[in-house]
Amino acid sequence: MKKILSVVLAVVLAFGMVAAFSSCTQKSDWEKIQEKGYFYCGITLYAPMNYYENDELVGFDTEFAQAVAEYLGVEAKFVTIKWPQKYLELDSGAIDAIWNGFTYGDEEGISRTEYVDFTHAYLENRQVIVTKADKLSTYNTKEAFAGLKAAAEGGSSGEAVAKELAGANTLVTPFDAQSSALMEVKSGMAEFAVIDYQMANAMVGKGDYADLSINPAYAPESEVYAIGCRKGSDFTAKLNEAIEALSENGTLAAIAEKYKLTNDLIANIGSDK
Amino acid sequence: MSFWEIFKLLCEGFSQSCLLFLLTLVFAIPLGLVISFGSMSKFKPLSWFCRTVVWIIRGTPLMLQLFVVFYVPGMLFEIQLFGGVNGRFEAALLAFVINYACYFSEIYRGGIESIPKGQYEAAQVLGMTQRETFFHVILMQVVKRIMAPMSNEIITLVKDTSLARAIGVAEIFFVTEMKLLSKGLIWPLFFIAVFFLVFVGVLTLLLGYFEKKLSYYRI
Repeated sequence: MKKILSVVLAVVLAFGMVAAFSSCTQKSDWEKIQEKGYFYCGITLYAPMNYYENDELVGFDTEFAQAVAEYLGVEAKFVTIKWPQKYLELDSGAIDAIWNGFTYGDEEGISRTEYVDFTHAYLENRQVIVTKADKLSTYNTKEAFAGLKAAAEGGSSGEAVAKELAGANTLVTPFDAQSSALMEVKSGMAEFAVIDYQMANAMVGKGDYADLSINPAYAPESEVYAIGCRKGSDFTAKLNEAIEALSENGTLAAIAEKYKLTNDLIANIGSDK
Repeated sequence: MSFWEIFKLLCEGFSQSCLLFLLTLVFAIPLGLVISFGSMSKFKPLSWFCRTVVWIIRGTPLMLQLFVVFYVPGMLFEIQLFGGVNGRFEAALLAFVINYACYFSEIYRGGIESIPKGQYEAAQVLGMTQRETFFHVILMQVVKRIMAPMSNEIITLVKDTSLARAIGVAEIFFVTEMKLLSKGLIWPLFFIAVFFLVFVGVLTLLLGYFEKKLSYYRI
């Protein structure tokens, strides 16, 4: 009796698993999003893109995503992710877009287009170096950074710049979030950090980071932000359609003005790429 | 941010940790018993299967199991097991329940096998069925014997909940990392110790109380 029962249970279990795996119907990403009624944006918290103000998530990318969602007739939801896990999050379907000041470019020498499909670029950005304000005169050339301890977010475009500056045999401390890199500099664990200009501009030199400063000794080439979608997803085209419309009707410009990003906003999105 | 705002934030995070802890216990304690029956079964394929599962779960890091549970179904089979709003929490719960059930099952097995064979024989002589023997004679003695190792695992579980941050569950460490450390606030990290110490302290007293209550018929 017992034996029969266990055999039956094992068979039921096996069938259950087969059924679970075969029941996946092939629906496109956009169909799935329409069915759910929302899409998930993977973010890390930093000003001016996504940050909390009085318990409310605000920021340029926050409002941008909400505007796009409204245009598409769905809802935008945000989830804080660990940045180095972003492609894993995207591929597994846990998030639908990497939408957090995501730089269009290379990561550790590999183009990010290998991992994601990019939408149109919407904002200009560059990497900047942040040091303690009283060290500005010491580290005043590109060469002065050689051999120093650097902090940059793991898997960010800043990490590549930090490695280039600090030299191969210097430890570049990778971090889960860009803002942790600033903390390393503040606490003296690292001499300099390489982070996004947009973030540095919003955070450095005020509040907790009053003793830090953007170091103009070296300015890497400028880059652009775009939204990263799953490879081959039809969501990319939908986002592009929404971005073009919002760029044309001035919604995007209004949000940029609110967050003082007007100078960096790319005009007439969709006409160039 | 004021102290109270931070305190509120930490409380929110800790409530997630506590919920994960409680639900894991609720599901893992009975599941552990089922697995221990499986691995003690006289039907060899079943016992091998259960022992292999226990070997795999105990032999791989919990962190890895969290990743597998949350990311692999979506990546390999394109099915969204945890696509809901609380998906991350559910995935973490599943991984924790399986992991802890396997550890519990071995504690149960040790407890059950420590009961002398003579008691089974005595019960048989008295005309009790196998079911009656187990539930009326063996199980209560097992509970008494495994209290100490179970307390150990339960306290470990309290602290293991912080691993759930690997897949972005908004538990106390994740909240601190993302919302406070990023603002240059380091002291909340140490303040977390207070939460854990108080919680584990209460738990230790509670488990000690149960152990005392159960220490009747000691020879």
